[in-house]
Amino acid sequence: MTGDLVGGLLGPEGPELGCDACFDELDRYVELELAGADADSAVPGMRDHLAGCLACREEHDSLLDLVAGEQG
Amino acid sequence: MEPAPASAAEAPAGAVAGAGGPSGVEPPWRLDAESRAWLAALKGHGRDHDEALGRLHHLLARAARFELYRRRGQLGHLPAAEVDDLALQVASDAMVAVLARLDDFRGLSRFTTWAYKFALLDAAVKVRSLAWRRREIPRPPEDWVSLVDRTGRPEDAAEHAELLAELRTAVAELLTPHQREVLLTVVAGRVPIDVLAERLGTGRGAVYKTVHDARRKLRAHLTDKGLLGAEGGGR
Repeated sequence: MTGDLVGGLLGPEGPELGCDACFDELDRYVELELAGADADSAVPGMRDHLAGCLACREEHDSLLDLVAGEQG
Repeated sequence: MEPAPASAAEAPAGAVAGAGGPSGVEPPWRLDAESRAWLAALKGHGRDHDEALGRLHHLLARAARFELYRRRGQLGHLPAAEVDDLALQVASDAMVAVLARLDDFRGLSRFTTWAYKFALLDAAVKVRSLAWRRREIPRPPEDWVSLVDRTGRPEDAAEHAELLAELRTAVAELLTPHQREVLLTVVAGRVPIDVLAERLGTGRGAVYKTVHDARRKLRAHLTDKGLLGAEGGGR
């Protein structure tokens, strides 16, 4: 166990989306990221949610990598 | 979490209401031509519809394989043929979810990106479930404080010890028994949130809300004690 245990117990600082809203916005967020746009401004609360929810973060990372791979 | 989490569990308190959400202001003509073609075929009838279903299943199976092989380490020694079977099962389940939520597609991404996420979610949930299928959920560690890495700058040690002591008190005294058990199981016990949700008979969103509410209590307490900065960071 590492020092991020305290961080995990306290979670992200800012307001965040819930898991269902995260799922709803995930495709748009990922495409904005890949386009180099300001995804965090477009989907406020997403970045903090991904910091706090490991499962959603893993799925975000997978979608990002899958779509990025297709775009070459 | 169901593959098609249509019925949003209540967003955590403090969630950004409607943040980037379906505002209705995104006009449908923003749909790109390919996405429009997908929608027309999937909502249509006849041969085009049947062909679109086949292409959709193929697309979802590709995403499922991507995710399953990415998580291959969690699948133990599952033979490749069984991984491929699982990918087809994921694709079929995800296709049901995609078709059920077709009207939710707002054209804010490409249709394929929107569809992929259903397969990735379903694959991830299935892998986590398989990895834990014969495992008991461990009791949350009572001595979680001993798990904290205390290495760091010596000059920070006293401050860190004070924060930990206050955090331990807050976890023990401010959280409800349910909040304490869920938070420690997920964070200190490293049990995947989906697995815990499944065992509790609920969804990911509901479990995460419990985690979120517990964290807010702890943050507020430490901030009141002057142990977290105004923005929630360390003092």
